[in-house]
Amino acid sequence: MSAAIAARRRRGLIGWAFMLPLVAVNALVVLGPSLAAVYFSLTDWSGIGRAHWVGLDNYRELASDPDFGTALWHNLLWTAFFLVVPMAMGLFGAFALTRIRRGRLLLRVVYFVPYIVASVVTSAIWKNLLSPDLGIGRMLHVNVLGNIHLALPAVEIVNNWAWWGFLVVVFLAAMRDVNPNLYEAAALDGAGTFGQFWHVTLPSIRPTFLFLGLMTIIWSFLSFDYVYVLTQGGPAGSTDLLSTLLYRDAFAELRAGYASAIGVVMALISAVVVVGYLAVRKRKDWTV
Amino acid sequence: MTMSRRKFLALSATAAALPALPTLAGCGAPDHSAGIGYWSAFANQQQRDYFQRARVDAFPGPGRVELTVKPNASIDQLTQTALAAGTGPDLVQTDGPAQVAAYAAAGYLHSLEDYARAYHWDRLLAPWALAASRINGELVALPADYETMIMLYNPATLHAHGWPVPRDRATFEAVCTEAKARGMIPVAAGNADWRASSEWWVTMALNHHAGPDAVYQALLGRLPWTDPVFVDAITTLSGYYQAGWWGGGVEDYFTNSFPQMYAALADGRAAFMITGSWASTEIAPYFGEAAGNSATWDWAPLFPLRAGVPDIVWDLGIGRTLSINANTDKPDETAAYLNFLESDPRRQADGVAEVGMQPAPIELTAADFPPGADAGQVRLYTELSNAATIGYTTWTFFPQQTDTQLYTNFDKVFTAQLSPADYLAGLDETFRRELRLGAVPTAPAPNGAAS
Repeated sequence: MSAAIAARRRRGLIGWAFMLPLVAVNALVVLGPSLAAVYFSLTDWSGIGRAHWVGLDNYRELASDPDFGTALWHNLLWTAFFLVVPMAMGLFGAFALTRIRRGRLLLRVVYFVPYIVASVVTSAIWKNLLSPDLGIGRMLHVNVLGNIHLALPAVEIVNNWAWWGFLVVVFLAAMRDVNPNLYEAAALDGAGTFGQFWHVTLPSIRPTFLFLGLMTIIWSFLSFDYVYVLTQGGPAGSTDLLSTLLYRDAFAELRAGYASAIGVVMALISAVVVVGYLAVRKRKDWTV
Repeated sequence: MTMSRRKFLALSATAAALPALPTLAGCGAPDHSAGIGYWSAFANQQQRDYFQRARVDAFPGPGRVELTVKPNASIDQLTQTALAAGTGPDLVQTDGPAQVAAYAAAGYLHSLEDYARAYHWDRLLAPWALAASRINGELVALPADYETMIMLYNPATLHAHGWPVPRDRATFEAVCTEAKARGMIPVAAGNADWRASSEWWVTMALNHHAGPDAVYQALLGRLPWTDPVFVDAITTLSGYYQAGWWGGGVEDYFTNSFPQMYAALADGRAAFMITGSWASTEIAPYFGEAAGNSATWDWAPLFPLRAGVPDIVWDLGIGRTLSINANTDKPDETAAYLNFLESDPRRQADGVAEVGMQPAPIELTAADFPPGADAGQVRLYTELSNAATIGYTTWTFFPQQTDTQLYTNFDKVFTAQLSPADYLAGLDETFRRELRLGAVPTAPAPNGAAS
């Protein structure tokens, strides 16, 4: 065995030694519960006592459960909203910040602050603001959180208020890495501000853009806190997401097996998105 | 300092295993503390201090009690997790018979039959309460408190508008119609703070419109929930919502909080509030000196919504039960403490009067209450002790999945997304499944006798 191979193997072992604690913790808190969730999704476990094997019954029931269908549809609407509205706000907000010098830092902080406020606090503030007896709700004579057609968009807007500033900061960091010569060249070719954004900025930050799109889809299927605090899935199920449905099935109806099946479906959806993204990234040879 | 690769790898493996050790050490080790372990949750600091003084420190033994206070929102999950791990408190608290049934099926609970004979709990507790605490014929829990549905009102509001206290459906509907026309909230109601509160009013519709006999037959599986008597009840209640009587309007109902409801009753914006007897405690800060006003409140029993239903039906519910952990190493001491908590009428009445705690379902007389006790509460619990006809609160006598579906889907009925017939068909399907699984709590007959 050559010295170079021995040295490479030693480096590998040391690397694994550093990884080992993380691997152990992940096995304990991620892999174990994940495998347990898959197992329990094939049982009638109530969350208490013994579980009995029911095979794919929970998945068959999911296919015909109108509450699951409604929650999945709400999740798709939620995802579409967060793929469009905050992404657009984040892109244009960041691009605008690259065009100004004075106040840029202050605006970055102002945009970012809602992101670091606890979601429970943000939700409580907005609950009061939207109340029909106080603030905006009273001024506009509308009870958005009590209206089955307005409640979901209202919760999305509240969540977006805390979210889009984060996207601004990430997009801004990506935009600052764009080669300035490209803008000069575009300007010489007659491109205006929008033309520069469309033909230089967007293609240059595409990997970041797609990565955030990927994460938006994954995070959208994990959303829970804003809905739970603001509406608890109401009114009349109009803001139920898969996560709130899962919570209710597990802890109110004591159907932990069925709730596990919902969790597995949520994980599968995320897995499909991740695999799709990785395939595209590999084909296009993107790096993030 | 130098370190060999072998030693470095060994240390790394040990470091990785360290976080798991406390977890592994905890497995299978019951919480055998020196005292009788009891986890509980309280509505406020006043109740907590009172309980420590009058129900923990005052326990004469044998043994002593170690009270651990848990958050109201998570005590059930914490207890459930601990019991699943073979640990948990010696005295186990649940939020009602449905949870007791699940714990009993899992083998978490100690039988109370021997203690029931030794302490004569059959003479102490109401028959209906004992019946609801038996799982497959075996006593495994005692109700720690009980509750009923009542109608609260502000006498000054009714007097100012010349309205009587409703004793029948016609009067109730006439007052609600007039109150709505005057821009008032006929019935202060909402589910913003407690999404499940819709079940309170479904309980009212089932027991006071369909009637307790019909509900009892349905709970035994002899009458389907799709029977027209239930469809009529749900249709009537849904109509009240759609008329804007409940909470002032359908949209407002979803955003009304408890403080808003109590305040509306106190300042005369609402005519009535139909709620559980627990509200007689929560409502106090909004009335009289505490709130800086001269408002008062009173209560009345619910009235029949259909001919043939008894004039007074007490919808009984168990809000909290107590059991002995199957893994306890001190069952006798725990049973003695359980008997201490349940047995003395004066102690129960004192808790009601001092801090508004709900009493255990034992007979209370006016003489049991301390001087200065609120007259409304004294009347409530003495009348309740003599209940001749009982109704069935859904959160006590309905199995878990049926009850959850009952309140989540009822919201879809009065928002016109689901018809009463379809709502009840879905409910019946879930109930039949749970009935087959033996998950339906034991219901006493409407006359209060054990079935």
